[in-house]
Amino acid sequence: MKNWPWAILAPALLFVLIGLFAPLIMTHDPGAQDYGALLTGPSGAHWLGTDYLGRDMFSRIVGGARTSLVAMAFVLLAALAIGVVIGSFAGYVGGKTELVMISVIDIVLALPSLIIALALMGVFSGDNFTWMSDYWKMIVALTMAWWANYARMSRAVVVAELQQPYIEAARVMGASHLWIFTRHILPHVLGLVVVYASADAGALVLAIATLSFLGLGVAPPTPEWGQMLVDGMSYIEEYPSLVVIPGLALTAVVVSFNLLGEAFALQKVPRAVRGRFLTRKKVARAAEESARKEVEA
Amino acid sequence: MTAPIYEVEGLVIDLYTPTVSVRAVDGAGFHVAPGETLAIVGESGSGKTVMTLGPLGLLPEGVAVDLRGTARADGKDILAMSPSDLSRLRGGFFGVIFQDPMSALNPMLKIGPQLAEQARRYAGLSAEAARKEAVSLLARSGIPDPEDRYGRYPHELSGGMLQRAMIALALAARPRVLIADEPTTALDATVQAQILALIRQIQKEDGIAVILITHDIGAVSVLADRVAVLYAGQVAEEGSAVDVLTAPVHPYTRGLLASVPDFRSDNASGTKEIPGIPPNQARLEPGCRFVDRCDRAIPACRSRRPRLQAVAKGTVPHRVACPVVIAAEGIVTHD
Amino acid sequence: MQRMFMRRTGLALLLMLAATALTFWLVTAAPGNVAALIAERAAGAGADGAMIQKIADDLGLNDPLPVRYVRWLGDALTGDFGVSIRTGKPMAEEFSARIPMTLTLLAGGGVLALTLSLVMGIAGAASNGGVVDRALHGMALVGASTPNFFVAALLVIVFSVWLGWVPTFGVSGFTSWLMPWFTIALFPASVLARVVRVNLQDTMSRPFATTGFAKGLTRRAVLLREALPNIAIPYMTTFGAQFTLMIIGAIVVERVFGLAGVGSFFIEAIRFRDFIGMQAILTLFVVFFVSVNLFVDLLAMLADPRLRRPRKA
Repeated sequence: MKNWPWAILAPALLFVLIGLFAPLIMTHDPGAQDYGALLTGPSGAHWLGTDYLGRDMFSRIVGGARTSLVAMAFVLLAALAIGVVIGSFAGYVGGKTELVMISVIDIVLALPSLIIALALMGVFSGDNFTWMSDYWKMIVALTMAWWANYARMSRAVVVAELQQPYIEAARVMGASHLWIFTRHILPHVLGLVVVYASADAGALVLAIATLSFLGLGVAPPTPEWGQMLVDGMSYIEEYPSLVVIPGLALTAVVVSFNLLGEAFALQKVPRAVRGRFLTRKKVARAAEESARKEVEA
Repeated sequence: MTAPIYEVEGLVIDLYTPTVSVRAVDGAGFHVAPGETLAIVGESGSGKTVMTLGPLGLLPEGVAVDLRGTARADGKDILAMSPSDLSRLRGGFFGVIFQDPMSALNPMLKIGPQLAEQARRYAGLSAEAARKEAVSLLARSGIPDPEDRYGRYPHELSGGMLQRAMIALALAARPRVLIADEPTTALDATVQAQILALIRQIQKEDGIAVILITHDIGAVSVLADRVAVLYAGQVAEEGSAVDVLTAPVHPYTRGLLASVPDFRSDNASGTKEIPGIPPNQARLEPGCRFVDRCDRAIPACRSRRPRLQAVAKGTVPHRVACPVVIAAEGIVTHD
Repeated sequence: MQRMFMRRTGLALLLMLAATALTFWLVTAAPGNVAALIAERAAGAGADGAMIQKIADDLGLNDPLPVRYVRWLGDALTGDFGVSIRTGKPMAEEFSARIPMTLTLLAGGGVLALTLSLVMGIAGAASNGGVVDRALHGMALVGASTPNFFVAALLVIVFSVWLGWVPTFGVSGFTSWLMPWFTIALFPASVLARVVRVNLQDTMSRPFATTGFAKGLTRRAVLLREALPNIAIPYMTTFGAQFTLMIIGAIVVERVFGLAGVGSFFIEAIRFRDFIGMQAILTLFVVFFVSVNLFVDLLAMLADPRLRRPRKA
């Protein structure tokens, strides 16, 4: 990771920090309604104004960051864990079991993740699932829609690693399967999967917001950007800021994670164009150097 | 001696990728006249291709190029040309045969129509005549059943046939200079001789100038009138093929020839490798580039860059960039 | 070639079967007592055990799951997707009323995404590291990151509220389609523009591109005539994937602009526990996803002469 543009981490990190320290940053209780100050513009008391219930927009945006962060972390960790376990198992056992597992993974991957999540939200609306709160329904639905990619990746890494000669060597020396897996293979799997997950976070934030926008995700009064946006749609003609502010917050977060993903992708495919300006300088420097040496000689 | 038709002098080419910068060509030059075959010889990475194709803007994209010196085609300054003039020059005046026909021909395009298009644009033929011309070019390049091959895609032809198609493509615009960049390297041994024979036949029939870029001394002896030996971006020795191949002066040329099995009949001592590897061209040292691998090197070689000196007069001067050997063997210089 | 065709088609059919079986199992078996729901919808609080039992018998809900799936599949193949619990109308009827709306959305969005991505990607490659290239790169990044419901909201604010050019709600006439189309096209267009740009750059550094220059073509001609055909295959496969993803955009857009399409019906079905409607729509989606991908795969095969005309051994 030499030469890796570490600065690109900054925006995503900022989002994580805001989410973590949201209670300290919020100026108001995001749920507190103030009927004396409905739909006010930005002011000293309310930095980003208030919404149709007189709630402080700034605090709701900050609270929304926390909501997104927490939900995203739950889903990402669960999907990653499930994916790594299933994928690694499939890759390690091989044979018919692997074939069946790959087929299941492929079927899941054949459908867009959000459609799967939506379908599961529908299933969870049935009588058999009343024991789950809407929030956890969303978390479970997204996890079940998201694990397959990690499973496929993990399996690919495991299969590739198993062909490495050192695995055979370890086996000959009498290492157990579990030992070989945890000591040799798992680090490789996690290395790839964690990098992918950090870039995947943006898509997940988007999915959470989209579910909430459709009324199938985070329910009020918990502040959530997608739900803030759909609420604001009713006031779009007179108070477009109710829509624009959460929309911008959401876009900014997704952009920061996508930048991260792009930086990872660039790491794999070096771009010559990137060096255009650099090269001119280098030419000049190299030419000077050679001229100087010729004079010295 | 006829006036040169493609002429390069004092060429310096720096190549840059985001991570490395290399001086691929360092003050080298060459010239070639109509009806003449010039062989540019050197190891891979010596700058042969960059020197010949660089002035024409034919280096792969993705590498930043900085280029200084002079390059003239038919007396016109190439480096001062507008992009569209340069494009026409590349298409019509020069024909290029690339090293690996499998990757140098577009997999999505049929072979024949490309030839016909060149013939239309640069030889001014009608669509009908261009198609006929394309088929006859394929036939002339030794491709059997040219009517059938006209509509074929590259993947449907063998490597040798593809290189023949590549040659036909290079000739379609009726160029005046044919540049063959390692035309046989990617081919089977049996096909190599056929391709070389084809190039020689074309050169004789059309009287065009041919530049053969190669590291194959055998190909040089078959085709070349003149030879320029390139080492690490600089010309080490140049002259008529006979002079350079039978009476080499520069230690590098001698090493190169000695490494070829059974090239000269009097070579009974077997082949000899040149020890060491070519220098890192990312670092620019002031002295002779060959110094680290040279058995004749003296301390002065490290600080002084050797100039080309003529060691034989004549219509084709034999010039060598090694004052040490010239002095040690008492060779008379002429400039 | 033909065998490959058959193989891909067979696999696609198998995938459809597996996916519909999976959704059938999930949607029909997991949620609970569908008969009770139907009875409740029909008779309100007055639904009693006998009525629920009768409905369950009528619909064959007490049979084993595989039997029910096969029966459902047989019905579905003849165009019978059951009766929506929410609207009380046959799903076939809902389909014929709603599919044209969603198809118009997808078709317009698809054409727009295709055009935008090619124009942006080629313009970027033509600029090759210049100002245009970097500006387009930034635009594509933002375009691929903006939630489509926010895009829709911004379009409404600018073109409906400020400029008053188009209604905020519903569609009437060509211009009113522009906002929904653009909304669902922005994301795929941005992703595809990157695909075009990156692949063109890669192709332009390949040896045959150099041959193109040696033929005397200008950079623009090499780009359009030599490089562009070579990115057709990665482009088409990504386009297929992005086109199926546009279903999500369609769901959102139908909600925002109040369009009576398949997507809005799906969301209503989820919210009102219309499991029969859900199953029908999901089946429709599965068929759409699998057949789009199949179509694109076959098209890519046809576009590549190496696959279309394999060399005779």
